[in-house]
Amino acid sequence: MNLDPRYTSDALSARLNRLFYQRLVEMDANSMPVPGLADWSQLSPLHYRFKLNSTVGKYPDGRVLNADDVVMTYRSILDKSHASPYQAALSMIDEVKSIDNETVDFLLKRADPLFPAYLEIEILPADHIENDHPFSSQPYGSGEFEFLRWSEAGHLVIQRRDDGQLFEIVEVKNPLVRTLKLLRGEIDILQNDLSPELLDYLRYQKDIELVQNSGSNFSYLGFNLQDSQTSDLRVRQAVAHAIDHQSIIDKVMRGAARKAETIFPPEHWAGNSDLIAYDFDPKKSRRLLLQAGYGPDNPLTLVYKTSSDPFRIRLATIIQNQLSQVGIHVDIKSYDWGTFFGDIKAGNFQIYSLSWVGIRTPDIFRYIFSSESLPPAGANRGRYTNPAVDDLLKKAEQAETLDRQTRIYREVAAQIHKDLPYVPLWFEDQYAAQGSRVTGFRVSPSGNYDGLSHLKLKKSRGNRHAQAATAH
Amino acid sequence: MIWRWLPLAVMLLWALAAFFGNSLVSGANMVNLDHILDTPGKSGLLGFDDLGRPVLQRLLAGARTSFIVAIGVVTISLMLGTTIGMLAAYQGGWLDLLLVRLIDVFMAFPGILLAIALAGVMGPGLDNLIIALSMVGWVGYARLARGQVLSLRERDHVTAAVALGSSRWVILSRHLLPLLAAPLIVEATFGIAGMVIAEAGLSFLGLGIQPPDASWGSMIRDGTSYMLMAPHLVLAPGVIMLLVVLSLNLLGDQLRDRLDIRFVTEQKMS
Repeated sequence: MNLDPRYTSDALSARLNRLFYQRLVEMDANSMPVPGLADWSQLSPLHYRFKLNSTVGKYPDGRVLNADDVVMTYRSILDKSHASPYQAALSMIDEVKSIDNETVDFLLKRADPLFPAYLEIEILPADHIENDHPFSSQPYGSGEFEFLRWSEAGHLVIQRRDDGQLFEIVEVKNPLVRTLKLLRGEIDILQNDLSPELLDYLRYQKDIELVQNSGSNFSYLGFNLQDSQTSDLRVRQAVAHAIDHQSIIDKVMRGAARKAETIFPPEHWAGNSDLIAYDFDPKKSRRLLLQAGYGPDNPLTLVYKTSSDPFRIRLATIIQNQLSQVGIHVDIKSYDWGTFFGDIKAGNFQIYSLSWVGIRTPDIFRYIFSSESLPPAGANRGRYTNPAVDDLLKKAEQAETLDRQTRIYREVAAQIHKDLPYVPLWFEDQYAAQGSRVTGFRVSPSGNYDGLSHLKLKKSRGNRHAQAATAH
Repeated sequence: MIWRWLPLAVMLLWALAAFFGNSLVSGANMVNLDHILDTPGKSGLLGFDDLGRPVLQRLLAGARTSFIVAIGVVTISLMLGTTIGMLAAYQGGWLDLLLVRLIDVFMAFPGILLAIALAGVMGPGLDNLIIALSMVGWVGYARLARGQVLSLRERDHVTAAVALGSSRWVILSRHLLPLLAAPLIVEATFGIAGMVIAEAGLSFLGLGIQPPDASWGSMIRDGTSYMLMAPHLVLAPGVIMLLVVLSLNLLGDQLRDRLDIRFVTEQKMS
């Protein structure tokens, strides 16, 4: 876990940082940028002016966030001597400067109609940046929550600014243990990472209130396109047609997911809802395998890598079973996270399953499907290369209006859907369960913890702390 | 009466399941999404697990796993341990000293930990599991055999055999082994019970037999996540394991009563 927003790369830290800091720009339900700390105007395609608005907060020492903080934060991210993972996405910025105490100008090297969407980054205090404050372990921001203590691993104490309510964030890895703690009242709220059965079980507990929302985290099966077997499009199509998504969603996930066709859900502005699903069709799948030269005498054997999470193994076993129905033999290899992710990045796999978490802007297409993004440069882990897609991605980068960019990204999504470097699986729902002491938590589609700002204690007795549990 | 016949009946069922279960368990690995976590009822006598696989069939498949491992490990340990123990005791001298120290080292080290380490190094799998547990299991038999031989070799019939010029092999196998057999068989019966638990333990930790094949230990591990909704996933393999281990221990007791001459005569006298 690294709580320095400039270097955060894991989902948990990113979710916590949202509580401690403010951002220039926020995302609405369609993932379009809307004003956060600042309202903006586009003076020219290469010149954006941001003016801080009334939502500006104070740092714990009482100082009000100002334009200098914004400038210092972005300069420090773009500083080549720091290896911030956001540098690549912000590479179009030529200069950041403050005009007065409340106005910041961004000058760009190249136009990008989506530029404000890349500014969903936490603003740090300028003086603390200069003093090399250890942000990674002691967050210091102007957000709705103030960081108090992180005395031991997996135990964080934070305080809500407007009413002084204390929150303890506790790490509890095992889903069953978390559920039991919630039922016993040891914790007040938990979010995500339960098996669908536990979720259903909690739904019928009388003291537990369950809040659920459709999610935007995209689960997929990835292929290695440099492998002699999975580089054959017919093999990939055969796999896609052999998976019965709907019955997995209905019977295993108990409806707590929706089918995906591309990385973005349909409500996302760059989502493409015109894509035609690869329907469950074992006959077609068998036919494709025959065409690719595999049959009962010469069955196709694939190695499927997954993490050691029991639910992922369970899904892998179900997919293994469905693929065996069309004559594809699947070997499941499950590894601890480090080994598994290392293998995936090194291209040492045939099929793997993973999810993309917290993706908001369609520049992600370049990061995962451009031929220039092979690891370590990007996340094109399946080594997918298609000149047509590269071409479209360049065009999208140069497009001058958002409309045109949207159209091009939809074309990219369609081409990728056809080429099948990923078999799109589903978007898992986000959910949280609250005990009897609290109410008001809202679940966000990306699973962040922003809902804690609405959480209320029903009545205070004894311990005034609210406790939340996380899985990581 | 029931205590006398129950262990035998359970053992018989266990053996039958292990030998003939294979023809019954064709469905043990069959995923059926319509039956996920179904409770025991009409469609399945013991219900279904988290992938819709029938628990009864998986128990039978697990019986086979635990039978093969337990019998395999005890057979190997028994042969290895007895040979080493008898050799050490009869030969004496530096060989005895060396082997006794080796046995002491193995005894001092927690057995299950060593088995975990070995299974971890060699990788999971049924054969590696048997090897790992045998590496730990032989020590008990070796110590027992050595102790017995040390006292038995002073008996008159052994001295007579030596005087008659019998070879060492004949003395060990004809004059000593038959007398050793009784305590070793008793020890082995308890050993089988221990190995059933050890196999389940290693499978519970994911070091034993690999999915989708069934083992009682891995069934319990998979079931713990669903304890609130579907307790039958943990209860069924747990109760079966309890019955088997209890029966083995009762059987061991009975065997000891029957094979131990002193005990039998004492009972007759009283």
